[in-house]
Amino acid sequence: MPFTRTFSPLLHYATIALALPAYSAEEFKINPEAAEILSNYCTDCHEDGTEKGDIRLDNLEELPLQARLDLMNRALEQVYLKQMPPKKKDQPSAEEREALGGWLWEVLHSHNAYKLEDKLRYPSYGNYVDHNELFSGKNKQPAFTPARRWLVRPQIFDSRVRDVFGLQGHDRNAQLNGITNPFSLPDASGVRDYDIGSLDGGTLLVMLTNAEYISERQIRPARVKNGEIGANDFPDPKDKFMPRTVPAEFESIILKKSPPSDDAMQAAISRQFQNVLRREPNETEMVKYLGLTREAILAAGNSEGLRQMLTTVLLESEFLYRLEFGTGEPDEHGRKMLAPREAAYAIAYAMGDDAPDAKLMEAAASGNLATREDIRREVTRLLQDTTQFRGSVDNYLTTGKVKSHEVSHPRIIRFFREFFGYPNATKVFKDVDRAYRQYQNADRGTFGTPGSLVNEADKIVSYYVDQDKNVFENILTTDKFFVFDMPDAEKKVKKWREIWELLKDTEWKTNPEKVFLQHEELLKKEFQISIENEKKRHGTTLTKVMSHFEAHFGKGLRPFVVFPWAHGYHHNYSPMYNLPPVMGSWGFEEGSPHFSYEPVQPFKLENRKGILTHPAWLIAHSLNTETDPVRRGRFVQEKLLAGRVPDVPITVDAVVPEDHTKTHRQRLDKVTMHQQECWKCHEYMNPLGLPFEMYDDFGRFRTEESIEAPENVVGKHLKHFNLYKTLPVDPSGELRGTGDPKLDGEVKDALDLIDRIAKSDRARQSIIRHAFRFYMGRNETMSDSQTLIDADNAYMQSGGSFKSVILSLLTSDSFIYRK
Amino acid sequence: MNNRREFIRNAFLAMGGLSLPGMMPRLSANPLGGGKAPMRFIFMHRGNGLFPKVMVPPSLTPEQKAMEDKKLPFEVDLDAHTLPEWMGPLAEHKKNLTILQGLSGKMCTVGHHGWCSALGVYKANERNSSIKWATVDFELAKLFPSPLEHIELACFPTGGGNPRGGLNGIAKGFSARGPQQPNYAFGGPGIAVDEIFKSVSTDKNEQVRYQLQRKVLEFAAGTETELARHLKGIENRKVSNYADSIEGIRERNRKIDMMTDCVRQHVPKLESKYLSNDMDTFTRQVGHTEVLLSSLISGLTNVVAFTVDELGHDYTGITGIEGEKVNMHDIGHGKPVKDVAAEEVRRRTEVHHMELMNRIVTRLKSVPEGNGTMFDNTMICYFPSSGETHHAHGFEFPFLIMAGDNTPMNLGSRYIRLPYWGTEGHKTLGNFYTSILNAHGNPIKHYGDFDPALKGDQTGPIKELLA
Repeated sequence: MPFTRTFSPLLHYATIALALPAYSAEEFKINPEAAEILSNYCTDCHEDGTEKGDIRLDNLEELPLQARLDLMNRALEQVYLKQMPPKKKDQPSAEEREALGGWLWEVLHSHNAYKLEDKLRYPSYGNYVDHNELFSGKNKQPAFTPARRWLVRPQIFDSRVRDVFGLQGHDRNAQLNGITNPFSLPDASGVRDYDIGSLDGGTLLVMLTNAEYISERQIRPARVKNGEIGANDFPDPKDKFMPRTVPAEFESIILKKSPPSDDAMQAAISRQFQNVLRREPNETEMVKYLGLTREAILAAGNSEGLRQMLTTVLLESEFLYRLEFGTGEPDEHGRKMLAPREAAYAIAYAMGDDAPDAKLMEAAASGNLATREDIRREVTRLLQDTTQFRGSVDNYLTTGKVKSHEVSHPRIIRFFREFFGYPNATKVFKDVDRAYRQYQNADRGTFGTPGSLVNEADKIVSYYVDQDKNVFENILTTDKFFVFDMPDAEKKVKKWREIWELLKDTEWKTNPEKVFLQHEELLKKEFQISIENEKKRHGTTLTKVMSHFEAHFGKGLRPFVVFPWAHGYHHNYSPMYNLPPVMGSWGFEEGSPHFSYEPVQPFKLENRKGILTHPAWLIAHSLNTETDPVRRGRFVQEKLLAGRVPDVPITVDAVVPEDHTKTHRQRLDKVTMHQQECWKCHEYMNPLGLPFEMYDDFGRFRTEESIEAPENVVGKHLKHFNLYKTLPVDPSGELRGTGDPKLDGEVKDALDLIDRIAKSDRARQSIIRHAFRFYMGRNETMSDSQTLIDADNAYMQSGGSFKSVILSLLTSDSFIYRK
Repeated sequence: MNNRREFIRNAFLAMGGLSLPGMMPRLSANPLGGGKAPMRFIFMHRGNGLFPKVMVPPSLTPEQKAMEDKKLPFEVDLDAHTLPEWMGPLAEHKKNLTILQGLSGKMCTVGHHGWCSALGVYKANERNSSIKWATVDFELAKLFPSPLEHIELACFPTGGGNPRGGLNGIAKGFSARGPQQPNYAFGGPGIAVDEIFKSVSTDKNEQVRYQLQRKVLEFAAGTETELARHLKGIENRKVSNYADSIEGIRERNRKIDMMTDCVRQHVPKLESKYLSNDMDTFTRQVGHTEVLLSSLISGLTNVVAFTVDELGHDYTGITGIEGEKVNMHDIGHGKPVKDVAAEEVRRRTEVHHMELMNRIVTRLKSVPEGNGTMFDNTMICYFPSSGETHHAHGFEFPFLIMAGDNTPMNLGSRYIRLPYWGTEGHKTLGNFYTSILNAHGNPIKHYGDFDPALKGDQTGPIKELLA
């Protein structure tokens, strides 16, 4: 397997190229062996007269240098990724492919124009390492991660800023409105935090602003104490953030009425290095910073001069990178172990977003973080710690209407959120009339219905992560869902039923005041009812409550534990799960089926199986007004089958044509199935995505598809909303690529597809590959083969524990060694 | 006011936007230098909605009026019509004026507040995470780079809604530099002058700080360049990009320094009332307008976003009710102020906006540039930040456009009513901004989000507006 065995195509081709003659730009001539291979396999389609894809390979020698190098880079990518020649054409042998690749690499390398290796670092190229080869067990190369700077992710940046201010406990939750996070991660589904990021001009501009703000606030209390500024003299009266204390090293300079001594300035420099970079400055740095500080203080006085020094340290690129270079003597493979301090940070940032805790730092300082077993001990400790990392799954999701729930290890949930990509539901804008306004878009101060749905999907993930048994299979296939999950709901429904039983035979309909006075204490405590409310349009009254109970308990149903007339009520979206609207909420009408609340959650829902049938995932993988079987299929292909789908060629206008007499599937088939150019990619997506046509773009199960066009209107729903002619949904598809003939084959719908995928080794291993990327911050290479096999074994042998996968990954050579 | 100055610097630097290596200012495009003049853009937006009905020329024929009432598409040449009374201050510039009606913006956050929506064409809210991409003014700033790239001025709200900075300070604005990257705006003319023109400040302390800031950048550039020198490949890039960026800003500063004479010549000379923290709204708007003009004429920027007011701003200085602090939310709900009807209060503010616009156009027409004037290379858009009315749904975003003769678009002396929302040929804010971008050299297929309730292809420019 010539192209996949080595870590680096560059190194791989470098070896081959040694045997080839070198060429200068002036004397460019195609290597005879390469010329023969090109002639045998390429130029039939890519020569003067044919020029498929507007590519000609028969005139390489005549092209200007830059054009030639561009073309050769493209050719090398095709050769390496085995995308050319097309499958139906004669294929070059492995040796021929290697020889051609080697020659292309050599020419590109000689011009320093080689681009493939950089490309392969990107997430979209993660699956280009052959899956079977990766898990074959044949690859025994020692694993390592290249020595690197890894740009901090947004959450780590936020934590580091709080560390600069020394914020602890409750203070650590302070709003830092004056600081803009310079980082954001791509929002496509899949692992996002890679080590390929680089500081750039945008980062710098934001950091200049941030550094000024932070330095000003760092010393503000001391400047107030010194009488330089008033205690309430804030540039923005609504932003009064400042730390409670100023480091003594800073305060002494500010309060001093004469220029500080060098010792005092050195102490301040050391303090800021510790605050920002968590280390002491080295000798050279101290000399340079002392000079800067001295000069600044001379020019602008103690406070302002000091502040310039603080700002400058904050602008060090090291503040924004994680450094992992390894230390000590290299082993026989040239690898170095992470330095203890580096290991402490690597572990801490694998588990959460904060700097290492005291125990980790102590272990690093005392030489107890120098072996694999040391790391295993610490990772195990942190995985078992249910309090240190405890926090909301996603603070941003918490708004007035939704509160993201707390879990012991939010970062574990973050992996599944990134992997499945369902949080992107909040970014898809819908025409709410198509869901009878039972769906609310994200808007000012709320993430709307998709926010609630994402929160409920999070709960499924954390439910099975907490159990830590068969985690992948359960998340993929569970028939239990959270819908309107509320704390203490079971207790509340029980209490409400007791009240109903107590009052149902009283005069609550005819003389509510009397009944209220008889049970005033109970009713006030339970419902905050007052007799005055009876006269108001809004507010809870005995009549309203009892009518609501009668309509539910009286009919053998359970009411939802939030009254539909409550201020800010937003639980109108039960129809997204194919549950009836809550009685009295928007969309409910007399005669329609009644919603009965399930206080014990999660609970079984019909026609759903796992996270891929959750409305949040389905919406996240939909378009504004229709489903997106192509994207859904691509997700399955890439994330669960470790497969590859080429990017859409720029010449393709990927639009499904309008036809008001056909289903979406029929329209998609028409435009993709019958043209070889289209089908060569779509065959990897459509059969996997079309089974999800059993759900519409709001995630509602359906057997009929509404053909939404003015000429197809057949009536109205809830008086306002169009009802359209429908056509039957065909959710059949085909699964290929599990590597298991018992699982591959035609599927009748999404539930069938999911069942089979969840049973496949390929899906499990594919998730583990993505977990590797999440914890290592890079794509796997063939030298990581053993790391992945170990992680897979850990999962299998532990009965499906994801924590075992984490432990395996974080104690692997891939995690520990740098080169 | 040390605090204020410290804070200013932040916004100023952030405001530098994308003027980094590869996008360094074309000083040759300075109107006072040589070379082809760049285009300038001013986006002046106001809160509380802008009623489509007030945009209509009163001189329409009964047939045209009937079409207008039914919101059917039509167009008239303004030469043959009188402007609405409140647009009177622009009467002399009618040949440059276009009234564009019928654009929708239902893909925006509308109603009370819109945040970056009206300039970005997406649902935006108070969270940075809602910023999907650079707003259109920043996209244009990329096409016509300048030392400061972009300047934003605002009459901030004092309570609720959009950015809540101090009225005279600097806070997140209504424009965005990129995904999740809010821009910062100057709330008061004084703070804007201090910061934008600090390179020519006569204040000794300010000069010292200015020099120190440069020293910090020099130091940081040296540190990072030295670090990068020892690295190779991708690791080198991770540091050298940063070092290059710092150098880029230093280079920008050097070029601003080279413009000192020109900048000094155009520093706005504001009377003390424009620098007072207690100035009324009308005064603040005039002060901002002077800063805007000086920034453009000096060549420091080619693009200005100006939040001329916002729903949450307590309006003061309104003609005839100067002493009243007017709550614009009440005006939105039709509440009169001291017997002055709400719509009349609106009208008086809008008249003032037109006076500001006239001030801008007249001044720019007085600055020679090439064979004409600076206004020839200027386009000004006046529009609501959140739709057609106080509680807008985004069905309409009326625009008043002033375009100089060199604007490569078919604008000037036109009243255009485009097909209404949901009817064939309807156009959105996104189509309009796509037109502007396409016309000025950005070939983007479509700028902005789509309206899922609209059927058919929503992409592309409005062909009738392209020259």
